[in-house]
Amino acid sequence: MPALIDAFEANARGAAATVVRMAASPAVALALVLGAVRDSRAIVLDPGEFLSPEVTEALGYLPGLVRQPSDEALSTADVGISSAFAGIASTGSVCIAMGPPLAAAASLLVPLHIVLLYADRIVERPRDLFNPTCLDGEGLRRNLVLITGPSATADMGPLVRGVHGPHRLQIFLLE
Amino acid sequence: MTMGTVSPQAVQADSPRAVANKSDRERLLRAIQMALSIESPAVRRNTQTFNRNRYRATGLLPDYEALKDHARQIKEHSIRDLSQLIAQLEKTVRERGGHVVLAAGAEEACRYVRDVCVRHGAKLVVKGKSITTEEIRLNDVLEAAGMEVAETDLAEFILQVADEQPSHVIAPAIHYSRERITELFKRKFQTDLRLDTGEELTKFAREILRKKFLHADIGITGANLVAADTGTLMLVESEGNIRMTSLLPPVHIAVVGVEKIIGRRQDMAPFVELLAASGTGQPLTSYTTFLSPPVDDPPFAMPGKPRKPREFYLVLIDNGRLRMRDDPVFRETLYCIRCSACLNSCANFQTVGGHAFGGETYSGGIGGSWEAGTGKLENARFSELCTGCSRCVNQCPVRIDIPWLNENLRHRLNGAAETFLASGILTTITGASEKDQSAPASKLFFGNYHWFAEWGTRFAPLSNAVAGWKRVRGVMERWLGVDCRRSLPAFPEQTLVSATNVEPLPHTEQPLARAVLFADVFTNYGLVQRGLAAFHLLRKLGVDLVVSESVPEGRAALSQGLLQTSAVYAQRAASLLDHYLDEGRDVVVVEPSSLAMFRRDARHLLENQGQFERLRSRSFEPVEYVANLIQKSARSPQELFDLGRSPVGKRVFYHSHCQQKTIGCAAATDTLLRSIGFDVVTSSVECCGMAGSFGYKKDFYELSMAVGEDLFQQVRKAEEDGGRRALLASGTSCTEQLHAGMNREVLHPVELLAAIVRPRVGIGWAKTGTLPAAHE
Repeated sequence: MPALIDAFEANARGAAATVVRMAASPAVALALVLGAVRDSRAIVLDPGEFLSPEVTEALGYLPGLVRQPSDEALSTADVGISSAFAGIASTGSVCIAMGPPLAAAASLLVPLHIVLLYADRIVERPRDLFNPTCLDGEGLRRNLVLITGPSATADMGPLVRGVHGPHRLQIFLLE
Repeated sequence: MTMGTVSPQAVQADSPRAVANKSDRERLLRAIQMALSIESPAVRRNTQTFNRNRYRATGLLPDYEALKDHARQIKEHSIRDLSQLIAQLEKTVRERGGHVVLAAGAEEACRYVRDVCVRHGAKLVVKGKSITTEEIRLNDVLEAAGMEVAETDLAEFILQVADEQPSHVIAPAIHYSRERITELFKRKFQTDLRLDTGEELTKFAREILRKKFLHADIGITGANLVAADTGTLMLVESEGNIRMTSLLPPVHIAVVGVEKIIGRRQDMAPFVELLAASGTGQPLTSYTTFLSPPVDDPPFAMPGKPRKPREFYLVLIDNGRLRMRDDPVFRETLYCIRCSACLNSCANFQTVGGHAFGGETYSGGIGGSWEAGTGKLENARFSELCTGCSRCVNQCPVRIDIPWLNENLRHRLNGAAETFLASGILTTITGASEKDQSAPASKLFFGNYHWFAEWGTRFAPLSNAVAGWKRVRGVMERWLGVDCRRSLPAFPEQTLVSATNVEPLPHTEQPLARAVLFADVFTNYGLVQRGLAAFHLLRKLGVDLVVSESVPEGRAALSQGLLQTSAVYAQRAASLLDHYLDEGRDVVVVEPSSLAMFRRDARHLLENQGQFERLRSRSFEPVEYVANLIQKSARSPQELFDLGRSPVGKRVFYHSHCQQKTIGCAAATDTLLRSIGFDVVTSSVECCGMAGSFGYKKDFYELSMAVGEDLFQQVRKAEEDGGRRALLASGTSCTEQLHAGMNREVLHPVELLAAIVRPRVGIGWAKTGTLPAAHE
């Protein structure tokens, strides 16, 4: 397990995400996320089902949090916070399950995407998500997106990070 | 890169669109000129980056080969069961509340999409990157119906602004440098904004496109794969535009070729890593989405817009695919997952890109089969740029034998041509199969070169003098397409067979191994000294070696698409070698392309697969064979070879042959030379650009030299640290190309080894045993 976490961290960094390992406590989560969203005016939070109620509650104290945002508000938000369905060690990807109203928007329309990932949800390789015995086979039933680093393009010549999707991907790894 | 061979008038005359359809030769040649003069630097830089990254990424996959086998198997089964899978997928999508249609042709598909859009009152349609919609020309139809169509992938956005066709299957604007994009945007958008960096250009495009996403009525995407059991689409991208296109507008239309259907969502597993590693060369691209539409969450609605319920339409495209499925050769095309590995690993593609090596939609090695399959055979004429170098073969994640497809395209194009008198005469005198006589004279000449070589050698040196006359070269250029600027290989006064005929038979007691040296045409009637070096070296090392008679093995004919002729030659050579294999002899072949016939290509040409398998596993490249012998003898290379005797010193530059690399016997030379103590720099180019007959052809001389420039630069770079390096090459045509570029002598590694082998080393070696079989 520690090897998986280390590999995840290294590979996520390799894909230009930032990774912070932290204790899975509400106070620590709030403090660290606060630090990450310091200059942000509008934050949308998609707690999803993979975050403990305590952490979700703590994040509710974030200043700038837009509760039940309209689509217009979503389109101008600075930060989206989501919880990950899974992490993938070999590629450093976070896997977001879509379906809840904010899941797609919070991971797509914002310049800064913050993901909270529980370390025990890290699997070894992308193919594990297709294994019926892995994560209760949920990987085969849901609409998922594997996110590996911020959005990027090489179409304009040099590599540019930050295209249509988020420009920055910040992962908090809850241990 | 300045090639200095193209006149500026030609450049101005041709836009990429003007030369997109290459059903005639003239436009193909104009497209090559256009690409060499304008697009080459960007294409070269970008494809070579993809290529390097792919080697690294696939190297990091612990079970890369097994993953390829698995992916291949899934595709084989899916295409076999395609009719049932289509029916199953239709049922799945309908049960989930979506709509689905199977469109027989482009027109029908476009009409259906247009009608859906009209029914929804669509004014603005956003599109994710979809080459399949390029194939069916969807945008034209939607725009004609009064809709605005916004391409949101930045590369497709560039192409839409420039009105050009894609030049690459995953990076459609790969031919654009940053500077040219700046120029294009400044001109088309008439803006004073600073657009001098990738960031500035990206921001400019993003701001235009973000508005489109938020207000779009309909989103159109393609899909990388579709699972019949769940209706799940796999969507691979980096920019986030496909996610937006499929999630923000209320209506999502996915336009998907039927070959993308696989049975189960579970079966997507091997493709996720393979596609990313083989394509952009990343562990994964930024976003890999698995979506079973219509999705539950409500679509996006800006103020003033009614919130509509979600709708999903799946448009399955046949457009020739089901016909391809019935074709025993071109069925393989349908296994293609459009990763672009065959484009990026191709030296010609790296030099000109898909606007020359491509048609109106598809490009590169696999592109000809797609263009022919979804359109007309003539549209595949650009596949002439496949030299058969085979570098793509091991790169294809689903193991498609792409050169074989292109040789078949060439064969069918040859067959579609009229028979000319010259071709009839050439067929008769050379002994080529009559079934190939509709091929152009140039192809019959190159494919039956052995006949000319044999007669030329019979009359050498007179024939060399004649072949050197300007007037003769002029005739050869006009009739046979042999470029005047190339020096022709001189016919030797004595062939390998006759030179070794006088040698006494070797001692046969306790030889280290028994082998036959196959007198391939290029060694026997060309660079005889290489054959002699191999002959003396192997005998000195203790091999009981004989030399076969010289017959063509069919590789040259195959490369010209003369399939029947090639099969006849391959069968004849295999039967000749059977006799030696029966005696327990291994087969040693100096010319790597001839060896590649025995190790790879003959599987398609010999009827008896057992015969092929035996020949494949017992055929060797000479240095590979020596390395195997050394391994078996448990002696060290230094014991056998004396670096101090090297006539060219210690510093060498080695360029292995493209097909030699593919069949896995290039590394042996590099390793052996290093272990003897040579200071070796090895070229990293995929191919030298000569590729057998390709570079001799008048039509392709400039391209061939442009490709060669990468190799020449590597030589110059390797010599920057001071002092020359002796040039070594394993292929006859690579030797000619290196010689043409560097104007220096080029040796075969076996010549160097023969010069430094210690005397009497063969005595007292271990007993004869079986050598390891050749790699595949």
